[in-house]
Amino acid sequence: MSAEEKLFMKALKEKFEEDPEEKYTKFYVYGGWKQSERKKEFKKWADKIVEEKRGGLPHYNPDIGVPLGQRKLMPYQVSGTDVFVEGDDLHFVNNAAMQQMWDDIRRTVIVGMDTAHRVLERRLGKEVTPETINEYMETLNHALPGGAVVQEHMVEIHPGLTWDCYAKIVTGDLELADEIDDKFLIDIEKLFPEEQAEQLIKAIGNKTYQVLRMPTIVGHVCDGATMYRWAAMQIAMSFICAYKIAAGEAAVSDFAFASKHAEVINMAEMLPARRARGENEPGGVPFGILADCVQTMRKYPDDPAKVALEVIGAGAMLYDQIWLGSYMSGGVGFTQYATAVYTDNILDDYVYYGLDYVEDKYGLAEAEPDMDVVKDVATEVTLYGLEQYERYPAAMETHFGGSQRAAVCAAAAGCSVAFATGHAQAGVNGWYLSQILHKEAHGRLGFYGYDLQDQCGAANSLSVRSDEGLPLELRGPNYPNYAMNVGHLGEYAGIVQAAHAARGDAFCVHPVIKVAFADDMLVFDFTEPRKEFAKGALREFEPAGERDIIIPAE
Amino acid sequence: MSLKEEMAEKAQFYPGETDIAENRRNYMNPNYELEKLREIADEDVVRLMGHREPGEEYPSVHPPLEEMEEPECPIRELVEPTDGAKQGDRIRYIQFTDSVYFAPIHPYIRARMYMWRYRGVDTGTLSGRQIIEVRERDLEKIAKELLETEIFDPARTGVRGATVHGHSLRLDENGLMFDALRRYRLNEEKGVVEYVKDQVGIELDEPIEVGAPADEEDLKERTTIYRIDGVPFREDEELLQVIQRIHELRTLAGYNPKEAEGK
Repeated sequence: MSAEEKLFMKALKEKFEEDPEEKYTKFYVYGGWKQSERKKEFKKWADKIVEEKRGGLPHYNPDIGVPLGQRKLMPYQVSGTDVFVEGDDLHFVNNAAMQQMWDDIRRTVIVGMDTAHRVLERRLGKEVTPETINEYMETLNHALPGGAVVQEHMVEIHPGLTWDCYAKIVTGDLELADEIDDKFLIDIEKLFPEEQAEQLIKAIGNKTYQVLRMPTIVGHVCDGATMYRWAAMQIAMSFICAYKIAAGEAAVSDFAFASKHAEVINMAEMLPARRARGENEPGGVPFGILADCVQTMRKYPDDPAKVALEVIGAGAMLYDQIWLGSYMSGGVGFTQYATAVYTDNILDDYVYYGLDYVEDKYGLAEAEPDMDVVKDVATEVTLYGLEQYERYPAAMETHFGGSQRAAVCAAAAGCSVAFATGHAQAGVNGWYLSQILHKEAHGRLGFYGYDLQDQCGAANSLSVRSDEGLPLELRGPNYPNYAMNVGHLGEYAGIVQAAHAARGDAFCVHPVIKVAFADDMLVFDFTEPRKEFAKGALREFEPAGERDIIIPAE
Repeated sequence: MSLKEEMAEKAQFYPGETDIAENRRNYMNPNYELEKLREIADEDVVRLMGHREPGEEYPSVHPPLEEMEEPECPIRELVEPTDGAKQGDRIRYIQFTDSVYFAPIHPYIRARMYMWRYRGVDTGTLSGRQIIEVRERDLEKIAKELLETEIFDPARTGVRGATVHGHSLRLDENGLMFDALRRYRLNEEKGVVEYVKDQVGIELDEPIEVGAPADEEDLKERTTIYRIDGVPFREDEELLQVIQRIHELRTLAGYNPKEAEGK
């Protein structure tokens, strides 16, 4: 591949004045933090706030601490887009799209309807038909955002605050789907390419699910575990109302039990006491579930590299920036690690290189998941990645932390093995080989905490025994060695997706979750998370959960 | 040859068939004498680290061991304490940043070298810095060796306790590694690098000269990094094979130890 064909070349030329192959530059001449428009804006705001709102109490001051901007404060190209942004715009607090991506996952709860329908029919003698389901759904779409349905004297929630809240239906029962009002149906056949739709319909079967999206603002005030409780309460109320049931009847408890336990699908598992969080918090989202939330596969089914890269971008943002960077840590440092995998098309270049390599040599998902393939593919892709950093000092400077480079090379290696074998376990094994190759090539890897898991990860990469391992699809941020470690989790999710994209799978773990996130009423567009992040960075993304209508106008 | 000598494992230090691998072996091998390239006064080593003033008594964290009534313990009898431990010195550190552009040594090679060569050390390895923590008077001896010998280059190695970034950045117009705190500069008149701040960035009363930067060819001969514009990693087939073998054995043994038998 010629230099000009490298996917990262445009970014490198934009970021620095010198040729990307130039090894020498000037430092200390860029004007410090004042070279950044964003930091100048921050300073201006901070001065205003200190005077007007803080009675002189200090706030942000870029002259404190290490002298910012002794070198070029480089812009970042959001990978897969033409958008260049400042690094600050990719901190999730500065980026409404990033916040909304997490909001949309956290506020999603899926509840099976079949148990409730059986209770209605067999125990309460009610008739359940497409018409009654439509009526129930109308009721639920009133109750879920905060409308009262059972008592006559009740406070309610301003609809303008909860416009994003709704419920829809997913079913593999095509006859039922035909009779459900279109506005209530997430239509698999319309939203997915034919081959993927067939897989999903078969996997879901004749079951029926309601997909509920609680108000974003509720997630901001409460937490993820609120979501299924909020959903369960409004589901029970809506059944009572729509089917004219006695509110105090013992059978009603079956609706609550089904909604809170038997039939509920949360997007994230509860975490143990030392990381104490309830359901639907980022640390409990398994890699395969995150991959199923992302929808690139249905839009770009013939581009497995892009499919994997979008999952990596989403995962790096959610797991590194929000989960590890804030829930588990706090502050600003983690963004720098995370952005390496979704900016400047460097990882994109490495992943497409790996894809080409395996397509030529093995074919997509056609190689046996054996050690010879892992060694061949992971070694070749890692060497390619390292050589780009060595050939282009501007690329090395762009990923100035060893953890960034380690994550990028290993992600490319892992995805490439997954492309070749269609096997996520083989893929993650390739990741670990990449890490130790990298360590020996450059004599360095990440920071103490970064690479500890990479130096012992091979040993558990094929194990699925309790307390030792799991299929990669079902591992998540709470998996023992992965629990406090930036620059890995999103990439692992990408390796899962790479394997399934290579196989042409419509989903990785959960068909209903895959369909639930195909819905176009979601505020965040999960088909191209990186494009959405770019919109957020440009301040063009319109989120939900705002409270302008109940506060004084500025 | 005694039985003990006969049974002793012969250290191989590091695999590989290139000059880079040979440099790694040499630096790790305690029987290889590191070549001294410069002289830095003991007082300057102390000032550069900034833990105490030259001539100041060593602060201690416990009385000398011989004044302490230690319990009977076979380990204590077996292990001879270092001088610093005997005196009850504090544990202090020196930390280096090594440029990817042919610095003589790099973080994991440092770690392995320290463990082979020095006693009573605790070392930590990151991509952008490498720390060694030792009892203070022992540290000063070790630091002197680390600064005066072939594993240090004034332009491509930095002594940095904090704000360490620079290892992966392009070099400045003088060929020096970036340092946001500008602890050192090239004295163009003398052609040497001089530190004007200590390792955490506190200004020094007088600059400390650490010598002239080596030329590129010299660095390429001394370095421990594989690079496409030096010795490419791809070319060291023996090293690649050893790493792949380690990976395979770890994988198989972790999955099912029987699978690794005979491999």
